Order: sequence, then structure tokens, then C-alpha cells
Amino acid sequence: MKKIDVTLCFAIVLVLLSGCGDKPKSDAVKYKYSTEQVYKETCLHCHGPKGEGVAEKKAPALTKQSVQELEMSLFDIKNGGLGQSTASEHDVMEHNMKKLAEKGYDYDIKMMANYIHTTFGTK
Amino acid sequence: MKSDKIIEEILFEIEKHEGGMSRRNAMKFLAASPIAASVLAGAAPATEAEASTSNATGKIVIVGGGLAGVATAAKLTHRLANPNITLIEPNPKSVSYQPGQTLIAAGVWQKSDIEYETANFIPKGVKWIKDSVVSFDPQNNTVTTSDDTKISYDYLVVATGLMLNFGAIKGLKGEITSSGTNDLVRIKVGKEGVYSVYFADGAVDTKKGIEELIAKAKAHTGSEKLQAIFTDPDTAIKCGGAPKKIMYITHDLLKKAGVRDKIELTFCPSGDKMFGVPEYNAAILEQFKARDFKWEFKTNLVAIDTEKKIATFEKKWLEKGEYDEDLKEYTMVSMSKMVEKNYDFIHITPPQKAPDVVGKSPIGSSKGWVPVVKETLQHVTYKNVFALGDVAAVPMGKTGGSARKQYTVVAENLIAIMEKQEKLPAAYDGYTVCPLITSIGTVALLEFNWTAKPAPSFPLDPTQERWIWWLLKVYALKPMTIYGMLSGRA
Repeated sequence: MKKIDVTLCFAIVLVLLSGCGDKPKSDAVKYKYSTEQVYKETCLHCHGPKGEGVAEKKAPALTKQSVQELEMSLFDIKNGGLGQSTASEHDVMEHNMKKLAEKGYDYDIKMMANYIHTTFGTK
Repeated sequence: MKSDKIIEEILFEIEKHEGGMSRRNAMKFLAASPIAASVLAGAAPATEAEASTSNATGKIVIVGGGLAGVATAAKLTHRLANPNITLIEPNPKSVSYQPGQTLIAAGVWQKSDIEYETANFIPKGVKWIKDSVVSFDPQNNTVTTSDDTKISYDYLVVATGLMLNFGAIKGLKGEITSSGTNDLVRIKVGKEGVYSVYFADGAVDTKKGIEELIAKAKAHTGSEKLQAIFTDPDTAIKCGGAPKKIMYITHDLLKKAGVRDKIELTFCPSGDKMFGVPEYNAAILEQFKARDFKWEFKTNLVAIDTEKKIATFEKKWLEKGEYDEDLKEYTMVSMSKMVEKNYDFIHITPPQKAPDVVGKSPIGSSKGWVPVVKETLQHVTYKNVFALGDVAAVPMGKTGGSARKQYTVVAENLIAIMEKQEKLPAAYDGYTVCPLITSIGTVALLEFNWTAKPAPSFPLDPTQERWIWWLLKVYALKPMTIYGMLSGRA
């Protein structure tokens, strides 16, 4: 420690930093069911066959959200929040989603947002 | 780790090394050192399109001259043969270095160490309008400034940053940015036990606040501990680590003053975890236990009575409901109640929002943040509009570290649009970084992206607190940002 060459130490840090952020993307995740299967076998029970929502299940309609809003909502639900440490704005659905994922009903967020929007979207 | 000793040793080495320079001058030297400069120059990410200069033309208007806006202007200036760029920013110190605010509260830096004049960083050739935008008309490709001037554009970059909405907490007033006017907020914040490092003047006040708490603790004789509370709101915030960093700093200063055992430190976040990345969450929980911190999840500050020193929180939880045949699980019911807490010291992380002028305009959204395709940062509706930095609706972002990755993406994709290319070449992966100050002398360098997995740049365990990252935080990141990022080079 005594003989630390501070300038050298910063130079090393900076050289290392210069290489950051260019990581290869993580491998694509394989899902058990197709996006459509997941929707029809699970989501549909509460959000309806046309994404219209089911009042007694307290499940909102998905038809009026833009594809970007759907993507953000799904990110919030699956990631348990949109911020670095915020809670999900959909705490009940976050819980349900965990249970569904345990049963294999997991999906790619972008694909699901696109599926819902292109199949049911009115906006 | 005897962090004090290490830091003293390092600072001693710096002083020796630079021939009797003061510590602050040593820092400035590092910023200007040829080694740092050459490395920074080489640090720009190399993309294929990078090498050539684009001949594309068109008028680009950038709204907002913080780190994100100025860095984008600089990058576009480098990349375009004939840049036509207008930047609209009213604050003459808009490029000030916000990550330093925690270090001001820690007594390591002063306010002058983070203040930078925007005028020194506006790239040559860029027209700077010192006014604020009051309305957006993306149908007609114009924005209007407060003096009622209509400014037209071919391409728009929105980088206004966000607002610290203290007024959303009952008992407080004001909606401010981190530098600039803050009179309304400071009626109640920055005195009598109520503090916030989220704005520069507030950070200066927080340092005094911790000193007052120490004095109070020294005079305290009762068996009951004094209460210090640290909040974290239910909105997206800039720098998700800061609400915890200030707690670590306070702990460290209390410990050094020998009064830590007289004060209970409690973290009250609205969230249900310490961090969205499980590995980092586990590491922070261990750090909390080791420091005897208390915490209560899903506890969101909603009101404060500064006379009686009582803070009111909304506490939420889930309760088991009926069995659901379709889900084949018990449903959950969302519950909440109000809880009052006495405090001797409270650090407030304010709720945060997009500026109304953006959020409620046609380029905003129901949540305010500018809706963009999160990879390309292009507006979902208006293809000639991009957004980056704190105002963009991008998950897990809102740090200088994310903006540092985003501005290159915006510049490259904007040029592709100008060149009428079909495909946007650059994609952001959600990378961000939180140098979590865990004491005065140690930092855990938490890097991650949208996979919510650690994405360390170094072959070192990122969950460990290290003095080398403290050095990075205190000496290297600011010059990297101010001289690397603002010039569009790193």
C-alpha cells in the first residue's frame, strides 16, 4: 500500500473503464409456451378473451394501452418495479406473475406487449 | 477495513506525488493529466458508423442543457459535417455535477467542487438559447419559449431532466431542480432536522444537519435513542442508491463522533427491496445488518409536521384473499394504513416527476415521462423526436451513468433518421451504474442492466465494498463526466 503509484492506479482504472459497456448480450431465454399460449391459458381468465378486462377479477382492460405502455407495465410486473429499488405499481399482479412463472407461463416482455397490442389494441 | 487510514494514506501519496499540491489541486490535475486525457479520448465506444462524418443536414433542437443534452450536442457536432444545432437551457450552471452532492453532505467536497458553468461546455457552433421551453407542438415541429418565441426544428432531442417534487409531501412546498431557485422548498427543508441531498444547497445543509444531530446526541442523556429516518419515495428517482448512500454517510460520521449508539437509523422506502438486482439486494442487506440499521419496506412518506417533528407514512402490504380457480392460487389483496413516526433527523428523497411542460404535452405520457422505444430512444409517436436522461420513460435508468450510455445511441440513431436510413443502428441495453458509498472511504460499484443481473466492468466481485471504487468515485468519475462525457468523447 505504501508504494502506491496513484497516477498509475487511476490510469489502470480508466483503461479498464474504457472497455465497459460493450458486453455481449446475455443468451436468449427459452420459454416453455408461446406468447399466444400464455395469454390464452392464463391472462385471458382475468383480462378477457379480447383483452377487455374482467371487473369481478379487478383486472383492467389492456386494449387502450400503447405498445410502449404495455411494455413498461409488463417490465414493472415481471421485474417487481421500474426503478432501481421501487416497488411494483402492480403489486397483486406481480405476485400472480411469480406464481404463473413457477408453472412455466413465462414470456418475453416485448413479444407479449406486441401480441396484446396487435391482437386487441385499439390505440 | 480501516478506511480512514487508507484514505489518509492515498491523499498523502497524492500530495507527495504531485509535489506538494493541495488535495483539491491534485484532483484538478488528474482531470487535466495527459494520461487521463488520452485514455478518455480512446474511451469512446467504437461503432462502425463512427469513423465517417455524416453529410446529413437538418435543424436539430435540443431542449435541456444538462449532462445528457450537452453530451448529445457535442457528439452530434463531431459526427455531422454541417451541424445545425440549437440548445435551449435557462440555467447557467446546468452541467453541474450532481453525483457529488452526497460527497458534499459527507464533508469531502464543497459546493464549488460540483458547480460548472454551462457556457464553458457548449460545443463550438451550437446556438445556445438561454430560455426555457413552455410548450411543445410536435405536429408542427415547433417549441415555444417563455418569451413567446416559436422555434422550429426538423429533429428534436428532449433532455430536460426531472423535477424534485417536494410539494407532493403534505407539509412541504416546491417543485425544483438540483441547482437553481429553491426558496419554497427551503422554507422547511434544510433546517430543524429535515434535510435532503437531492439538490446542491440541500446537500450543504445536510452536512450541517448531521453536525447538529451529533451535537444533539452528545447532549442526549435519556435511555431512549434519538431517531434518524431515511426515506425513498414511490416514484422513479434519479440515482436509486442515494437514499441509502446518505444513510451510510450519516452512520459513518456518527460513529466517528462516538455517538452512533445513541441514535437509531431507520430506512423507510416505499419499495419492497433494497435493490432490483438480487445479488446487490443481498449484499446491501448484509451491509445494513453489519451496521445495525433498521428498515421497514413499503413505507412511503406522505406528510410531515415539522413543528411537532412527526412524519406520516403510508404502509402497504398484501393479505391472502380467496382461492382463485383460474389462477389455482390464493389471490392477494392490497392493504394500507397510515403510520406516524417521531424523528430527530429525517433525510427526504423527494418524489420525482417529468416537468409538466413536457409530461402534459403531446410528447409526454399518462405518467409524464417521454415515451420512447427503450432501446433506440426514439419517441413512440413522433419519429423525429428522441429523449434521453432522466425525462425518458426508460426502466431502471435516471443516472449520469445511464445518460453516458444513452447519448451516443441518440446521436447515432438521430443521424440515421437524418440520412433516411430504414433501420436505427444503435441500441441501449439499460446499462447503469451506482457507485454505492458505504462509508467515507469505501464504495461498492454496482453496475447492471435490464437483465437485472450484475454487469461488472471489472474482474472483481461487484458486491464488495472497496477503497479503489471510492477513489474512482472521488477522483475519476467527475473528470470522466465533465471532460469526457460533456465533450462527447466518453
